[in-house]
Amino acid sequence: MTIAENTALELVAANGRPVRHTDLADAPLAVRELTVSYGQKPAVFSLDATFAPGRLAAIVGPNGAGKSTFLKAALGMVPKLSGQVIVFGQPLAAARHRIAYVPQRASVDWDFPTPVIDVVLMGMYRQLGLLRRVSAKQRDAALACLARVGMEDFSDRQIGQLSGGQQQRVFLARALAQDADLYLLDEPFAGVDAATERAIIDVLKAIRDEGRTVVCVHHDLTTVAQYFDDVLLLNVHKIAEGPVGDVFTAENLQKTYGGRLAAVHIDQLRLDPQ
Amino acid sequence: MSTGRPNRKSRTAAFWRRACTALAAAVFAVTAQLPVTSAQAGPAKLHVVATTSMIADAARQVGGEEVRVRELMGPGIDPHAYRQTRTDIAAMTRADLVLWHGLYLEAQLEEFMHKLAQRRSVVAVAESLPKDRLLRHDDYANQYDPHVWMDPQMWTGVVAAVRDALIAARPNARATFEANAARHIAEVEALAAYAADTLRSVPEQTRYLVTAHDAFNYFGRAYGFEVIGIQGISTESEAGLNRIAELVSLLVEKNVGAVFVESSVSDRNVRALIEGAAARGHKVSIGGELFSDAMGADGTYEGSYVGMLDHNVTTITHALGGTAPARGMNSRLSAGS
Amino acid sequence: MFETLLDAFLFRAGYNAALVTVGTTLLGIAAGSTGTFIFLRKRALISDAVAHATLPGVGIAFMVLVALGGDGRNLPALLAGSALSAWLGLLAVQWISRRTRLAEDAAIGAVLSVFFGGGIVLLTVIQTMTTGRRAGLEEFLLGATAGMLFHDAVFIAAAGLLVLTLVIALRRAMTLVAFDPGFATSVGISVARTDLAMMALTMAVTVVGLKLVGLILIVAMLIIPPVAARFWSDSTNSVVWIAGLIGGTSGFLGAALSASAPDLPTGPIIVLVCFALFAVSITFAPQRGLFAAMLRYRAFHRHVHRRQGLLALARGEEILDPVTVSVLRKAGLVRRDGVATEAGRAQAARILRDERRWDIARQIHRDEAVINRQDILRPIEDVLTRDEIAEIDRRIGPPEAVPS
Repeated sequence: MTIAENTALELVAANGRPVRHTDLADAPLAVRELTVSYGQKPAVFSLDATFAPGRLAAIVGPNGAGKSTFLKAALGMVPKLSGQVIVFGQPLAAARHRIAYVPQRASVDWDFPTPVIDVVLMGMYRQLGLLRRVSAKQRDAALACLARVGMEDFSDRQIGQLSGGQQQRVFLARALAQDADLYLLDEPFAGVDAATERAIIDVLKAIRDEGRTVVCVHHDLTTVAQYFDDVLLLNVHKIAEGPVGDVFTAENLQKTYGGRLAAVHIDQLRLDPQ
Repeated sequence: MSTGRPNRKSRTAAFWRRACTALAAAVFAVTAQLPVTSAQAGPAKLHVVATTSMIADAARQVGGEEVRVRELMGPGIDPHAYRQTRTDIAAMTRADLVLWHGLYLEAQLEEFMHKLAQRRSVVAVAESLPKDRLLRHDDYANQYDPHVWMDPQMWTGVVAAVRDALIAARPNARATFEANAARHIAEVEALAAYAADTLRSVPEQTRYLVTAHDAFNYFGRAYGFEVIGIQGISTESEAGLNRIAELVSLLVEKNVGAVFVESSVSDRNVRALIEGAAARGHKVSIGGELFSDAMGADGTYEGSYVGMLDHNVTTITHALGGTAPARGMNSRLSAGS
Repeated sequence: MFETLLDAFLFRAGYNAALVTVGTTLLGIAAGSTGTFIFLRKRALISDAVAHATLPGVGIAFMVLVALGGDGRNLPALLAGSALSAWLGLLAVQWISRRTRLAEDAAIGAVLSVFFGGGIVLLTVIQTMTTGRRAGLEEFLLGATAGMLFHDAVFIAAAGLLVLTLVIALRRAMTLVAFDPGFATSVGISVARTDLAMMALTMAVTVVGLKLVGLILIVAMLIIPPVAARFWSDSTNSVVWIAGLIGGTSGFLGAALSASAPDLPTGPIIVLVCFALFAVSITFAPQRGLFAAMLRYRAFHRHVHRRQGLLALARGEEILDPVTVSVLRKAGLVRRDGVATEAGRAQAARILRDERRWDIARQIHRDEAVINRQDILRPIEDVLTRDEIAEIDRRIGPPEAVPS
């Protein structure tokens, strides 16, 4: 199901109110004909996708499907070969301040001399700029973000002393500090314990209820229906996108994962029959 | 073990192998024809290679028409730091006679010279001087200060050594060499007399010779000067920070008014010394540029041994308050010495 | 000798020594602070390649000056030449590691050796040039402070202050880029331009330090201070200024020491002082130093015995190890006859609950290195968040008292 620019389509937001999605100006993130490649291998090919505002969306697909690449291209972190990225109806450079990004955990150096509170304060770079000192108000705001993820007791701890789930929570707190309208998270639940997973999804749902938009690259098929409103099924090409109830079907999953997902596994996902 | 038909890759490789072999053979054939030394038509001159320009000057004076002298280190070059180049090595291996100073003046060439001596005629001309007339090195127990040319009397011994080396290389020109050597030694002794007379006019209390490095010890011994070099006997030694402070105190204490830069050594240390003295309210100026380890420009009077020492003596005398002829011993110094 | 040392520290050892000391102190501060970002960005080796790449530029600048009729001693021109060839060296490293299949360390090694070798060849050629006075180009290798003049000191002071100002101005951007370049890009910081600024600052420090400590040793002034400072703090801003402090102290002490005794080369002495400060840091820094680690181990030893003893009490078992008994007695948790005190019973109950919580935590966090490393040393409240602990408590039920 592709959302064309001028088609009026009724979507239902998580809290029951209908949301009229008419054109790109409202969409927090939309890409048109996006192609990204590493060397000569395409990671994402001619992708058209639109994310609706105020929803929790998942991007799902097998390894190497281009999910992380899609996020990075949307943020301008990797160069795109062709296509457009439209953020809140504008090009990326103009609307960058409205996006917060939580990267995959592995890419950071854990011996870096920085305490937890400083990591969260990094999220306030836009307000602070290069030179302004951190005010007491900003410090309190950072501590509040830490409290939302349950990490307020750890504010002076060096990041290398944290467990995996705790580190992930700190990065989420950093994103909260950015006070963004669109949150992009790359596998936020990978390798975290159950308590952390619950804490994170609670925060994400709270953000969505505030009217902001959350898009996650998600690895765990068993929790897609439970956590997310919308889903984009991706394997270099787009397979399907839309509300979870409509799109997350056995047939679409077969198309996305090819032969890699056995029928028995799809049964275990207990999907609604289409 | 080759298999069947040769493919494209191995044929290309074979072609290159044959081409290189042919090229190598051609080069070998051509170079084998070249003479080892470049021969001249007519009576062949003795090819002499000298390291320092002072030795080269002596060799030219003694050898006259019989020799063709080539020097490795021209004006402004520091022999303590000099490393031989491939061209130098080629020239030395083709020469009939190689003259070097020895006594660790050409410190970087020591090993090479000793090896070369096993294959060609190599003479260290300063090492023939009697050891009891040499000054000991400040820092190394069994080494000597090599700057013997600063005392013309000592230099006559070196000229004699050059003469003997030339005679050994070409015995049938003995008479010429002896005559030339005698004439040149007389010139050098006249220079020694001039130096003694002129420098005697410098007052006792100003007899401090402060230079960039310790090249003037023989000069000091011969003419009664206290000699202070900022760097040690070799320019390879770095002057410590402490040394400058020490010398500034000395300049102030002894009321020294002039210090000297050298043509072959950086003048930064000397200028730092002057600034340090100025900070203590004592004005010191540069008395002039001395030729320490190298002579003046080729073709000038200062580009000869006699001219070099004449310049040094006259400059020092003028700067430290003695009287000397404005243009030196032979009135041949360039103006402004 | 100590008097001269004291004089040197108090800037009374003479004008020249004072000039050099001021210069090296400023250089040390600038190098230490700039070096912190290179160290955090893991570019230490590149800064060494850049320093070695200055040599051919110095030689070529000299030859150009002589060809144009000068005497080749113009310091700003020589330093400009050095900066230019250092820049080319940096571009070469980047080009090689991007365009060929060589890893970055191979590219660094290639550039370092080729440029430095080329520079040495140029110096050998220059020595055969009959240009009158030598420019003293070999001094750029290990520095030569004895000949430092007033205008040299002015230049160093100006450059040093400029570098420090830029470090302060750019510290936030450089920290962000070093920590998480992806995040930095996403908030609009240009990683490429920040890295460029960082390398430009490195080059400025290198050029300033050429005459004082020489190009071979300048990398030590850039890298040792932040490495030493890392032992004292876990916050980047603190590491930066501590590194500046260590660098400046090394510069000051090194210059003073070399001025107090004859024949001591200033550059190498500064580096040795810097290393001594590093040795002190690694040994005596609280928390992160070796000495502190040793004390922690002793405490750990006591802690293990205490825990084992209390668990035995809680389970009603006999304590066999005399060391354990002595530790418990000293803490007032058991009486002389081995019977637990009131305090001992309370502690035993707490430890039992902690142990049960840890059992569950270890099951949940089976693959977490952090949990496995720390489980005996710290109570669980220090390591897990409140909601994580609540989750565990749900599984094991309420706390139990220990019978007497």
